[in-house]
Amino acid sequence: MLTEKDLQRYDRQIMIYGFGQEGQEKLKQTKVFLAGVGGLGSPIAIYLVAAGIGTLRIADHDTVELSNLNRQVLHWEENIGKSKVDSAAAKLGKFSSGINIETIAETITEANVSKLVGDSDLIVDAMDNLPTRYLLNKTAIAKNIPFFHGAVYGFEGRAMTVLPGKTACLNCLYHGATVPKVKFPVIGVTPAVIGCIQATEVIKYIVGLGDLLTDRLLNYDALRMKFTEFKINRDPDCEICGKTSGQVKK
Amino acid sequence: MSVNVEISPIFGMYTDNVLNMKVEGKTVRECLHDLVRQFPTLKKLLLDKDGNLMHSYDFYVNEANVYPRDMSKPLNSGDKLNVVYIIHGG
Repeated sequence: MLTEKDLQRYDRQIMIYGFGQEGQEKLKQTKVFLAGVGGLGSPIAIYLVAAGIGTLRIADHDTVELSNLNRQVLHWEENIGKSKVDSAAAKLGKFSSGINIETIAETITEANVSKLVGDSDLIVDAMDNLPTRYLLNKTAIAKNIPFFHGAVYGFEGRAMTVLPGKTACLNCLYHGATVPKVKFPVIGVTPAVIGCIQATEVIKYIVGLGDLLTDRLLNYDALRMKFTEFKINRDPDCEICGKTSGQVKK
Repeated sequence: MSVNVEISPIFGMYTDNVLNMKVEGKTVRECLHDLVRQFPTLKKLLLDKDGNLMHSYDFYVNEANVYPRDMSKPLNSGDKLNVVYIIHGG
């Protein structure tokens, strides 16, 4: 139930055609699982909290390092050496005291991913490696909850939204390809753009507005300031979401 | 038969920032091999010892993904072949 304070705080977005108090109420009732609170996770968390999401459940095992601060805007010099989830929760709690922030300072593994996601309504992928992204995608398919993918490299970024059973999943897109986990180049403005796109997709999905970034991979080339798309057809033989998968454990 | 290739911006350092080029070939494999013939510095980056595209990269034909990921997929004159690096950073 929206309070008088909620109505004041979110007045400008409630005004948006099709959004209304109903949309705001939906946001308030939603629990988001945010995997990673680094470069992508920072803007995602900030804008979901700003929009009035009900519960933000953040998982990240890392501690803040000086080299994170060019892009991970939720973490400041005073947080170096501290847990990222604690650092993020402290800022977000001051930003909006009405949001439930849950923190998980654990590594996401095949053994614990289902439990960590718990009863969240959707998963946002703000990780820095492909294996964990695949795990999260598989978990989203198994739990039949949406998955919001984003990734960055230098001045490039990509994003795609997955609706289990309906649209292409991350495995349809990358077919299990692997990339060595090495330090990657990036400037803060790139995850800022891609993270905001992911947060926008989450809000649209919850409120039920617009067309989602499904069956499409959005490519952002900041150096040429170009957005392009690839059509991603669902793979009927995808081992995660295809006809023969079916056995994915919840 | 001429195919239009576009490569990810991260390859720009190996191609003098040329990201769009024309190659000759009737399949994805032939086109990729013509690409590395024109830009030899891309060869070690893109192709494995069997001449297949390495797993860190992906390709799209006419801006759509391809199943199965088959290097022998035929291409027609005027088709567009995108070669991209699978980015993973967050």
